[in-house]
Amino acid sequence: MIKAENLLKRVPMAGSELEILKGINLEIKSGESAAIVGASGSGKSTLLGLLAGLDEPSEGRVVIGDTDLSQLDEDGRALFRGKHIGFVFQSFQLLPALTALENVMLPLELNGQPDAREQAEHFLQRVELTDRMTHYPRQMSGGEQQRVAIARAFAARPDILFADEPTGNLDTRTGSHIVEVLFELNREQGATLVLVTHDQGLAELCERRLLLDAGQLVSG
Amino acid sequence: MSMTATRMLARDWRGGELGVLVAALILAVAVVSGISAFTTRLQSALEQESHRFLAADRVVRSGFEMPDAWLGEAEARGIASAKTLTFPSMVFAGEENMFLASVKAVTEGYPLRGALTYSEKPFGQVLPGERGPAPGEVWIDSRLFALLDVEVGDSVAVGDADFTVVAAARTEPDQSASFMGYGPRVLMHYDDIAATGVVQPGSRVEFRQLYAGSEGELTNFVEWLEGRLGDNQNLLDVNQGQPGIGSALDRAESFLLLAGSLGVVLAGVAIALAARRFSERHNDYVAIMKSLGATSGSVNRLYGSSLLLLGVVATALGCLAGWGMQAAFFGLFAEQMPVQPGPSGLRPYIIGSATALTCLLCFAWPPLRRLGLASPLRVLRRDMPTEARRTLGDYAIGLTAVTLLMWAYSQNWKLTFAVLAGLAITVVLGLVLALTLLRGGRLVGMSAGSIWRLALAGLQRRGTANALQVVIFAMAIMLLLVLLLVRTSLIDEWQTQLPPDTPNHFMLNIAPEEVQGVDQMLRSQSIASEALYPMIRVRLMSVNDEALERTDDRSQPRRQRESNITWSDTLPAGNELLAGEWWAPDTAEPLVSVEAEYAERLGVTVGDKLGFLIGSEPLEATITSVRSLDWQSFKPNFWLVFPPRALASYPATFMTSFHLGEGDKGFLNSFIRNFPTVTVVEMDVVIEQVRSIVDQVSAAIELVLAVIIAAGSLVLVAGVQASVDARMHESAILRALGARRSLILGGLFIEFAALGLFAGLLATVAAEISVYILQTWVMDMSYSPSPWVWPVGVGAGMALIAGLGVFSCRRVVSSPPVALLREL
Repeated sequence: MIKAENLLKRVPMAGSELEILKGINLEIKSGESAAIVGASGSGKSTLLGLLAGLDEPSEGRVVIGDTDLSQLDEDGRALFRGKHIGFVFQSFQLLPALTALENVMLPLELNGQPDAREQAEHFLQRVELTDRMTHYPRQMSGGEQQRVAIARAFAARPDILFADEPTGNLDTRTGSHIVEVLFELNREQGATLVLVTHDQGLAELCERRLLLDAGQLVSG
Repeated sequence: MSMTATRMLARDWRGGELGVLVAALILAVAVVSGISAFTTRLQSALEQESHRFLAADRVVRSGFEMPDAWLGEAEARGIASAKTLTFPSMVFAGEENMFLASVKAVTEGYPLRGALTYSEKPFGQVLPGERGPAPGEVWIDSRLFALLDVEVGDSVAVGDADFTVVAAARTEPDQSASFMGYGPRVLMHYDDIAATGVVQPGSRVEFRQLYAGSEGELTNFVEWLEGRLGDNQNLLDVNQGQPGIGSALDRAESFLLLAGSLGVVLAGVAIALAARRFSERHNDYVAIMKSLGATSGSVNRLYGSSLLLLGVVATALGCLAGWGMQAAFFGLFAEQMPVQPGPSGLRPYIIGSATALTCLLCFAWPPLRRLGLASPLRVLRRDMPTEARRTLGDYAIGLTAVTLLMWAYSQNWKLTFAVLAGLAITVVLGLVLALTLLRGGRLVGMSAGSIWRLALAGLQRRGTANALQVVIFAMAIMLLLVLLLVRTSLIDEWQTQLPPDTPNHFMLNIAPEEVQGVDQMLRSQSIASEALYPMIRVRLMSVNDEALERTDDRSQPRRQRESNITWSDTLPAGNELLAGEWWAPDTAEPLVSVEAEYAERLGVTVGDKLGFLIGSEPLEATITSVRSLDWQSFKPNFWLVFPPRALASYPATFMTSFHLGEGDKGFLNSFIRNFPTVTVVEMDVVIEQVRSIVDQVSAAIELVLAVIIAAGSLVLVAGVQASVDARMHESAILRALGARRSLILGGLFIEFAALGLFAGLLATVAAEISVYILQTWVMDMSYSPSPWVWPVGVGAGMALIAGLGVFSCRRVVSSPPVALLREL
């Protein structure tokens, strides 16, 4: 379960402070899928960053399972992310110097999994990229790169998967295919799915929709 | 972490991220180890060379015969030895002809270092001799053949013994360049001394025992020997034996050390720039890894071990390159080297490795260490500031490292200070100038055409980054200019010091009535000569009425000593007045001008009184001036100069020096027949030796300069690369919006050329200041401004930086904009 209590995020802006999130409280149950929606600048990505432990709130706390993320330092959160969290990003975030296979192996190697290569090959097979394993990101289309990113996210068998605009950089057809793959793998693994999206169709596939407006949760 | 450093390095290598970093590291190690090995080997060669001037490694000299037991002890210790005895004696040929010669008797092994040379006829082709004359034979000076009217195969007598003349004696390694008692040489075997019967107790003779062996054995032997040396027995080592190559080589060494230090600084800057760019490009990499669970510790370990691995590989390659550099040089010049250089040992490579480690720790690690602090939030927000910005701490570490490396390498604070001063001037002036000018450009730029507007806008948008870049470019150009300036003035000075017509022969003992004839004979053969200087032999007896001790102990500064003096109404050419004033012409007062070193040794200055004995007549003179002069000029030089009228009543002979080409040696034969009493000293062999060494060292300097230019270019490449990403991105957007190739390339060219212009100007100012400090403080040379350096500095700065900049960004016009935008 993910629990956010009174989350506040302020950033310094030319002598004053800008409040991006203004006291968010929410709970997302294990295995649930939730879409964070809202207009540009409403604070969706900031909320995702805080829930995933990529950033620290100015006030309030995020608890995942029994772990209070605000009690952990950056290294503690990194270890927690490595064990429990997977990511899919709008801009794919593959390492350009690594092949598709190496990119998928990376989190497994970071976790010290001895069968990193076999696992990575298995997941690349699942996203139908068997013949692209030795290719570099620049040699692949946007849809293929996102499938590598999905394989990388699921290969570490995370408890929670965070996705930031996973179809944002893709055309409608490729986007739909990516969404299919994402939801299919998520169902198989029973992970909690939290995604940020502008895409109404994608949001409706989730069990819950959390609507943000000017840094406040207005529904969900 | 299971992802190994090797795999990451391999991936980065494939991605082209490591090129400049690796090249800079290899270059740093190569420059340091190469130059260090080179100077070590050159020093060993020169030391051997200087041993040749002693004909041994150590010599004991005395006016009395020394115990043969010392030679026995040397032999027991595995040290080679020989004996020589030098004494003046009349040499006779038949009833009529006789001449006072300087006889030297030598044992079988002589010389222990270097070689004797002889010729089969007087002034003939010079040949190396394996050993000296056999018992019963002599080699005689070329001019003695004419003076005694003998030929090879004839007989001459020294004292009671007759000898067969078998060759003309040409040079001995330990032939003294001093003119004291210089008579034509007769070389004979040591075993023949007794038969001549001329060496009696009290004779004016000089015995020498010569020793040569490994340095360790010699040190022990000398320790044993020193306890046994009497008052009149002096031990000589290399330092006393070497003629005037000294300061040229000292300066060459300073230059090489300077070059090495600059190489280290340049490579350090290149490493820092490359590491910074590497770190900036890895920020996203680390953010992704951290979002996937990597801790800052594991990131540090990964990059730390990668860097270490990189360091090991680059050090190995750098040592190899350094070894190759010096080996290639010595290979190329092996035939011209008078002696074979010894091995350099491991020290240069240890220094190279230590340099690599220092560069990695102080220049490369600080930006990489901060990678561990990169925020994982960058995976969501790429506009987050990177953590690679340099802190004051990084600059302090870098500066300390540069200072320590330069000092460790040159062991010279003045040299370190001169370069640091130049760098400091570049940094301060550079930042002020660049920021002011780059801001000022806006007013001018707005009304200019579009290429100019584009370029000026680019310059201003990255104002601070550009100012930093100007400083880095200026530093690199400045260091190169410093080296170029010092090298040029060094080589110029050597060439001026030893021009092709350097006097290579001296004439002594010219009687007053012969002066005109000698002068005419030189003129009739069109032989350029120095002025004819009168010369009188005097003995210094007292200082300020205090009588001086008569002793053979040359280490004692205040003692009676003999010198050749001259007279002149004017300050001799090439002399410089350090204190006091030159006398009025025609003064008859007993005044004297003293050479600075002579005055220092005696502890006298202007106003002090010196007492002399000329023949048997006393003369007391007051010091009116102290002069400095160049002892290495191969021109007549004198410790003491008097007013002509003060010496009018004393008998004088005259001397001069002149240049004789190799093919004109026959002149000496006819000259000696005309002026049999004039002594001719041949210095051409020594001068050729000096010139050959200077040529080799000059070539070494050119080679080192080329290597340092490579290091400087690397800094320029690293500096340009540092800003290429941002410029490429903007240019790609401009192209996507329809900008023409010429507009983009023109804009980039002007932008980089403007940076080059500022950098060139700045570098030239700082280089001139640095060179001034270096030449006046460190290298003991006179400074003169070099106007040519301004167009060179500024022109090269603009051309190099504009060229490199446009070359690095060329892909922006050759690749489709969409590919570039996706990539960047």
